[in-house]
Amino acid sequence: MSEPGYLFTEEEADILQEVMNIAFGKASAELAEVIDITVILSVPEIRLFRGEKLHCYLIDQMRFAERLSLVEQGFIGRFRGSALLGFPQGAEECILRLMGEEELGEDVAEGPSSLGCEALLEVGNILIGACIGKLSELLKDYVTYTPPRLLVEDYHALVDGGLLARADDVGITMKTMFSFEEAESVTGYLFLLTDESSLSWLKQALNDYLDSFG
Amino acid sequence: MIEQQILDTINVGIIVLDADFIVRQWNRWMAQYSGIEPEAIRGQSLFDHYPHLDNVKFRRNCKAVLRFGNFCFFSQKLHGHLFSFRPSSTLRGEMEFMQQNCTVGPLYSDDREIRHLFISVEDVTEAVLYQNRLVEMNRRDALTGLFNRRYLNQRLVEEFERARRYRRPLSLIMTDIDHFKRINDTYGHQFGDQVIRAVAATLTAGLRKVDGAARYGGEEFCCYLPETDGDGAVGVAERLRQRVAQLGLVHESVAVPVTMSFGVAVAQAAMGDHESLLKAADDALYQAKHNGRNQVCRFSPNPQTVDG
Repeated sequence: MSEPGYLFTEEEADILQEVMNIAFGKASAELAEVIDITVILSVPEIRLFRGEKLHCYLIDQMRFAERLSLVEQGFIGRFRGSALLGFPQGAEECILRLMGEEELGEDVAEGPSSLGCEALLEVGNILIGACIGKLSELLKDYVTYTPPRLLVEDYHALVDGGLLARADDVGITMKTMFSFEEAESVTGYLFLLTDESSLSWLKQALNDYLDSFG
Repeated sequence: MIEQQILDTINVGIIVLDADFIVRQWNRWMAQYSGIEPEAIRGQSLFDHYPHLDNVKFRRNCKAVLRFGNFCFFSQKLHGHLFSFRPSSTLRGEMEFMQQNCTVGPLYSDDREIRHLFISVEDVTEAVLYQNRLVEMNRRDALTGLFNRRYLNQRLVEEFERARRYRRPLSLIMTDIDHFKRINDTYGHQFGDQVIRAVAATLTAGLRKVDGAARYGGEEFCCYLPETDGDGAVGVAERLRQRVAQLGLVHESVAVPVTMSFGVAVAQAAMGDHESLLKAADDALYQAKHNGRNQVCRFSPNPQTVDG
């Protein structure tokens, strides 16, 4: 865990990591049942940032594909923030195939068609919902969501639009790599971003979680 | 009691379903627009009344909501509507179905299990109508109703790309009213506007549905013709030329002859972008003017008059 490590004790950091592992493990298992697609989620990587460093980190992280489709969705519970799901562009074709929908029409080369957009939004929404849902379930919170938005190669707008943390904010990122067993070429990243406002609740929830094991 | 009042007075459709899609709540808004009273649907499967919702996608999303407690959104932009309702009375002439943003979300029982889900239905017809109107206005020239130059450019980029990708022909016709300044100066601007409108209507009437016509400048117009080769486009231009010449416009009982010159160009593999195609059609138009007006010229490195 990087810089403002003092925000979490070592024990709290360990529990958070453990809770994330369990939550994402459950999410992965249950996604296979619900959407019939096996989603492989890597062990989440938790980082803490102060202000602009989060900015730089995210922009740097988004460079994994030349062209990206980003699904962004806000979640509001006592644990609140935004989820960002980055797909390599062109992933929508694979996803449509996985969901057993018809082939895309002729507009693929000009960016996602409306059918492709729909597929990205639907899968993004469910993937984000599964991960956050399982996390908040473990921490005994419940969450509402804003409609997902699709941003094609427009992640600078996200940053500039102030969605991702002001300079004085503390940012917590939870990064997971995901891929689909049936389509190995589609690999992307899920980031959960939250800030200081969720921190005290998160610390409390983590301690309660630990206490529940006596 | 208060909760029931909120449910019935809110200007949003609210449905509560259990995990087997049996309707548990159906608020007054839903009753009003669906024509189904709550007593008539409570305890029955939603799919008995709305069989089109019994599909893989809807079931998959509801299953996710019941399992993960996430929300799923059926936006107007992607779906138009989930329930086929008639729009409220004032909007009926303009839109066949009410446009809706719909949300499906979880309802937790006291033991924190999700046993029900809700569907909310928001009527966004009016906003969609205004949006459509604004989009349309932003594309059109006010005087003629033809596409404006900005939208033409956007379309040309797309059409040029499509033609190149699928190796299909694409033709462009640039056309200009002959001696328009003289008409304007002699008969006044109002009559000038009338000429422009008449010419625009003639162009529109002479094109297919897949073609498009734009007002390119004051008295200059541009038509794009997908799937049309040079000979075809020259034929169209020639027909348009004849129809304009036969318009028979009259100003204060004086017949005012109106003619146009036409330049035709076809997209070539060697052209870098749509700008080159525009330039080629413009060059051919210049040639038609140079050769004496009221004629069609086809672009070639050494342009020839097709018809005099």
